[in-house]
Amino acid sequence: MKHFKETLYDAVCQEFRIDKLYFENRTKHQHLMIFHNARLGRVMTLDGIVQTTEADEFIYHEMLAHVPLFSHGRAQRVLIIGGGDGAMLREVLRHPVEQVTLVEIDKAVIDIAKKHLPDHSAGAFEDARTNLTIADGLEYVSDTDEKFDVIICDSTDPIGPGEVLFSEEFYTQAKRCLAPGGILVTQNGVPFFQLDELKVTARRMAPHFVDATFYCAPVPTYYGGFMAFSWGTDDTRLRQTDMATLHGRYDEAGIKTRYYNPEIHRASFALPQYILDALSGTS
Amino acid sequence: MANGRRVIIGAPPQEAKAYLELVAEHGSPLLVFDREILERQYQLLSDTLPDVELYYAVKAHPNEHIVRALDELGCGFDVASAGEMDMLMDLKISGRRTIHTHPIKKDREIRDALRFGATTFVVDNLDELEKLVPYRDRVGILLRVSFSSEDAAVDLSRKFGCDVRDAAGIVMVAGKLGLHIKGLSFHVGSQCENSAKHVEAIEQCHQLMEEISKSVPVPMSTLDIGGGFPADYQLAGIDISSFCAPIRKALGRLPRDWHLLAEPGRFLVAPSVTSITTVTGRSERHGTCWYYLDDGVYGSYSGQIFDHAIYPLQVLKDGTTRPSILAGPTCDSIDVIAEDIQLPELEIGDLVIGHQMGAYTAATKTRFNLLPDARFVCRYDNS
Repeated sequence: MKHFKETLYDAVCQEFRIDKLYFENRTKHQHLMIFHNARLGRVMTLDGIVQTTEADEFIYHEMLAHVPLFSHGRAQRVLIIGGGDGAMLREVLRHPVEQVTLVEIDKAVIDIAKKHLPDHSAGAFEDARTNLTIADGLEYVSDTDEKFDVIICDSTDPIGPGEVLFSEEFYTQAKRCLAPGGILVTQNGVPFFQLDELKVTARRMAPHFVDATFYCAPVPTYYGGFMAFSWGTDDTRLRQTDMATLHGRYDEAGIKTRYYNPEIHRASFALPQYILDALSGTS
Repeated sequence: MANGRRVIIGAPPQEAKAYLELVAEHGSPLLVFDREILERQYQLLSDTLPDVELYYAVKAHPNEHIVRALDELGCGFDVASAGEMDMLMDLKISGRRTIHTHPIKKDREIRDALRFGATTFVVDNLDELEKLVPYRDRVGILLRVSFSSEDAAVDLSRKFGCDVRDAAGIVMVAGKLGLHIKGLSFHVGSQCENSAKHVEAIEQCHQLMEEISKSVPVPMSTLDIGGGFPADYQLAGIDISSFCAPIRKALGRLPRDWHLLAEPGRFLVAPSVTSITTVTGRSERHGTCWYYLDDGVYGSYSGQIFDHAIYPLQVLKDGTTRPSILAGPTCDSIDVIAEDIQLPELEIGDLVIGHQMGAYTAATKTRFNLLPDARFVCRYDNS
């Protein structure tokens, strides 16, 4: 295997040269591959779709972690669903949180990412605040009695093991697990190519949150321009957190970021017209 | 010849010795795979249809040695089930190099195919089209149209394919559903005697695609010409280049930017696998000599039932022939490979060779009587 061709779309595909193959096999739940590419560093794919690369993972993980955490301002208990590569955990642990629970369905992803993608987790699994659970994300949020200030859904695409994390039942149960003023964020695909996914999520989330919307960031290897992140909370003020407050929290946390900053934070909620049209049902 | 079956009596000493050595080494019954023949067949077909991307119909013989050899030649794969995709994934073959061609699918099958990485799907009716709506952002669709073939041994136009008169309507509906039908596919049947039906189908599809493309926003640009490339069951020396010449000519009249696909199975693998069975018993019944072999129509010869194939047979002995019957090892009376054929007197332990037995043979074997399968062995195995 000398090249990786992504299998997301029939008419177009991105192709990566495989400069060194570290792992390629089936786990109990999916097909997993980790290889090195000269331009992108180590690349992880699941079921033929790029999940993360060393070169651009900072955009995705910073935006899915810091936007809800700095909006919330005092999150103590955080739940990550998916995110077996450990990078989301790494970013969340940079905040002064009490406990982070990571629920991953596929233990092999954690084991193999620790070995072949070590800079993603960078020791986060060994942090005393980390509480790791191997379970189905929907079952976990349905069964647990715990409440969380922020829930981050770092899932695969809606075909495969991540499927249940796009179901209405998941949003219902996740909402149940949120403490008052809590926020749910999820990865929601690349609307330019996956407009249906955006519309379906919008329709399924809306009944459960007073403020249900999306924010965006462009992640180069999620080919197609902006990636959408869904945002759900009952506290409508959180999205409007003013610049001074965000700056205060950002400076206080002393987190060095490479994509996130308070200006980007605010701006990321401004949606391109094609996304707004899709959400309002006019496209 | 009896009942259209080619029978070879006797074998040159070197050839006989090779068969005997294979059985001495691996036992009996066997299916012996000759990779060089497969490579030659692939080369012949690609040379004669240079602008056509070949997708091996995995169902013809879903065997890892065959699939691996074709993978190394750069061949694509035509899959029709999750099981076939599983097999390719085990062999590290990307879904990007496959097309899913079963016209009728469960939702689960579509999802499995997408997870595997196959994004080209075939439909032939509106129900199937609607099943793809949830995945419309990802898939490319071929509409299978039906042309019947009187020449073909197995007519595939009866079970699948929409009437050409309905094609335009289905493409319009697809457009309204946000689905893109990127082209047409057809199967004129298997084991065609000549390529006249292919040519007619190509010409009709050409006209149809040009016509439909005028009224849809996204033009159709893919034509999948299916299979039907014959195996040489008469050992008459089929010249595939002559067979394909009219097809090549017809394809040459299509727009240069169209994507051309074919799904050969039988032509590629039939000659690359040879069956070896052993006489395990015999009896004299009503003036005919019955020979009971260790493989039969519930095993490697199942293609005689399901595929209507009549395989060329060979015995290694020479001599005076008499009316004989070759029967398989199961208890069922239908398990007869050949009746009323003239054979020299065989003894227990003698070998019977079946030629051109690579396609739709082991693929359709059964578990009846729980008899062991013929062992698949690779000849000249360098791996």
